[in-house]
Amino acid sequence: MTAPAAADGTQDETQAEAQAELKDFVAYCVPLTGFAAFDLYATGMARLYLDTARRQVGAARFAEFWEKWRTAAAAGGGPELLGPTHREVARALTYLWFTGAWPRLAPDAHAELRRDMANVEFIVSPSAYPEGLVWRTFHGHPGGAKPPGFGTWAVKPPAMVPAAELRDDLGLPADAVYRTGLPDGVSPDAIPAHLLPGHRLSRDIPPSAVPTALAPTTPEEDPV
Amino acid sequence: MTGTTVTADDAARRRYHAVIVGGGWAGSILAKRLGAQGWQVLVLEAGNGGTETWPGYLDSLSTFYSAVAKVPNSAYRPNTAAPSPDVLDLAPVRNPQTGQPEFTAQGYFVQNGKLPYGTDYLRALGGTAMHWLGAVPRMHPDDFATQTTYGYGRDWPLTAQDLQRWYAEAERELGVAGHTAEQKELGVVTDPHHQYPMHHIPQSYIDQYCHRKLKDAVVKDETVPDEKYKLKVTGLPQARNSTPNPEYDHGTYRVKGAVGLPNYGERCVGNASCVPICPVQAKSHPLRLQTGLRDNVTFAHRCVVTRVRAAADTGLATGVEYRTYTDPASPVSRSHIAEADIVILAAHAIENARLMLFSGLATKSGQVGRNLMDHPTILNWALSPEADGPLGPFRGPGHTSGWETFRFGKGRRTRAPFRIEIGNWGWGWATGAPMSNVATALGIGGDAHGAVRKDGVFGPELRRLLGSAIGRQLQLQIAVEQSADPANRVTIDPARYRDAMGNPRPVLTYNLDKHTRDGLFAARLVARKIFKGLDAEDHTNHAPRDGVPPLGHFVHQLNHKTLDLAYSGAGHGAGTHVMGTDDRTSVVDPFQRLHDHHNVYAIGCGSMPSIGTSNPTLTMMALALRSAAHIHQALIAARRPIEVRTTANPDASTMAEATA
Repeated sequence: MTAPAAADGTQDETQAEAQAELKDFVAYCVPLTGFAAFDLYATGMARLYLDTARRQVGAARFAEFWEKWRTAAAAGGGPELLGPTHREVARALTYLWFTGAWPRLAPDAHAELRRDMANVEFIVSPSAYPEGLVWRTFHGHPGGAKPPGFGTWAVKPPAMVPAAELRDDLGLPADAVYRTGLPDGVSPDAIPAHLLPGHRLSRDIPPSAVPTALAPTTPEEDPV
Repeated sequence: MTGTTVTADDAARRRYHAVIVGGGWAGSILAKRLGAQGWQVLVLEAGNGGTETWPGYLDSLSTFYSAVAKVPNSAYRPNTAAPSPDVLDLAPVRNPQTGQPEFTAQGYFVQNGKLPYGTDYLRALGGTAMHWLGAVPRMHPDDFATQTTYGYGRDWPLTAQDLQRWYAEAERELGVAGHTAEQKELGVVTDPHHQYPMHHIPQSYIDQYCHRKLKDAVVKDETVPDEKYKLKVTGLPQARNSTPNPEYDHGTYRVKGAVGLPNYGERCVGNASCVPICPVQAKSHPLRLQTGLRDNVTFAHRCVVTRVRAAADTGLATGVEYRTYTDPASPVSRSHIAEADIVILAAHAIENARLMLFSGLATKSGQVGRNLMDHPTILNWALSPEADGPLGPFRGPGHTSGWETFRFGKGRRTRAPFRIEIGNWGWGWATGAPMSNVATALGIGGDAHGAVRKDGVFGPELRRLLGSAIGRQLQLQIAVEQSADPANRVTIDPARYRDAMGNPRPVLTYNLDKHTRDGLFAARLVARKIFKGLDAEDHTNHAPRDGVPPLGHFVHQLNHKTLDLAYSGAGHGAGTHVMGTDDRTSVVDPFQRLHDHHNVYAIGCGSMPSIGTSNPTLTMMALALRSAAHIHQALIAARRPIEVRTTANPDASTMAEATA
């Protein structure tokens, strides 16, 4: 495919700027998502997500957030270096990559950002949903897309890759902390209830507004 | 393609042998059968067509992708002219007062019962079957006589034996993949030569995991102290394309592909989105039946039947009135009349009742609209141990196996029976996983006061956490039998509640009786034990949260134990025009013909006096096939097939005699 000849130098420049901007966006989404730049580009959604985040947060406020995050990440830091509102924006951006949807923000962050749109979850495009990264975290595929083939559901799924190995593969600093408000790393076999979803009380509650789980019930009954 | 599709105006220009209200499973099979026998048939579909074309189908898929709440109706566009009830119409009430309903209902249904009727349906070409799961277990012989055998509910005027032949035909028409030996062992298939058209759908890794861990463990149901229930993971018969069974009908069966695109859609490829839409159409749907029909079957979409016209003296119907619209968002519509020898209502249990009530039909028994049923379904969710590795949720059909033992036996006398579905789609139904997992692991949305949460995980740690938090999800959906209760009913109140076109909206009064509540209670306790046997961490919680009860919440006490329970609707609306032999206590006869109107049939789950613990579509189809044969005979007796077609009006008295 050949690019259309530029009418003048400015157009070339604008294009180069747009590309550089996207490259930068994807590069610093790697530590947020835990997915490689290759995977992020492969969704085909990078530009749409950048535009969406900018529109939802406001161009000036997004630029402010991005500068903070870039500085923190470039210095080998994690999201714990962000203030509450920026932390919420970082979460929203990650949620967007993982699900194809812009979430409902914490009301305080929504207010602080002075957003002029409703604070509701929405899927940014029908083509975004099948590109959600969440499915890949458990070797799945989006429901209703990218089907794996007849009978594949009967096969044992592959084991999970440890976080350290993921970090290594992505070239992220070994000592960077990619969590907030949690002094210790979360062990996969002891996930605290407050990081799990609880009962969705009614079907109209969007996924980003589902309450967190409470401690699991302890059955007092005899074992089978 | 599908017979002839005409406009509403054209549809009114002719006379028909039969007019069928509704283009879902029941209407489509009747159209196919009566059409094949040469009768002039008109099918009036209230909702939109379009899904029978490939672009139309892709539009539905795209609508599903765009929906935040991926509920059963989410793949199909809303339609004000022919509105559908939606599970999104219900909301819980914060801090409800004791004794008052804990929910509010908006949308199409008006609800004034103690508990919510949490079931939807779809008014569009193909009907609710466009978003069904495709589960087609037969009913057990005991299910047909619960009153006689166990002292609850209503008996059928038919036995399982009467239906075996029709069940087999329904399995052919639907295209069922199943495991004959297992179903024979359950006692639901009695023909020794029975075969399913296709090999059973492979059981999921989750099913195998449950089987490996529990083997044939024996579980006690503490509400039924002297019974022991042996767990056995049993495959689910499904109307889903698999491999043709060479033992079936001399190996002549071929899988049916997608509608609207040639040579597409064969075996299930594991899209894991049967509800609300199978992208490759490996899941069977009624549009398949509508293809390849002859020209004597006419379809008209966007034709909302408003009334059945019946003569006051003879009770015989002359046809139906319907209104047509061009823009689903606008209430503007025009009225037409279609005349026919026989009127067949096949519009869903609740729609059939609504039409009969508004038309003033079948008033003698007082049972029209009564005995509304569903399968109240209690969700149970847990995490399997990390040491066992990921289970692979969100793969394959919604569920491929279940534990069947609690469906049968004398425990039914004590509490309602139930069927335990082993879910393949993780905590999706209960918690909105996997999307809600992302939100809660990130810590998005703020705390109870709206402040940004402190705790959350990002990057590689998030990815790893989700791998476990989602990969280990187990969910058991337990569908409990609800028996006929005349107090659970559909009524209309045209003076107060009408839809945009002016048709009366269904007013529902719904509750669960003690027998059903005991069944839900027992089911919850059994699920706990199963989770314990699986070493799984039980996360089930049906208690109110911060003063907000979950939908379908109630507190139940049994044997000095009190539990917070909640149920969801299963989409199995049934029982609004129950069948029987006595015209004083039932609405339709065993052929689903209205006792009071001998050329009107009400076909569908509405005719069922009980629904056992089986998803009702297969039984509905068996009944519809049986009725189709009966209607053919009635029409033959009244007039000859179209080879020599007459245009004269049928003589009402001849009709009455012939079909009496």
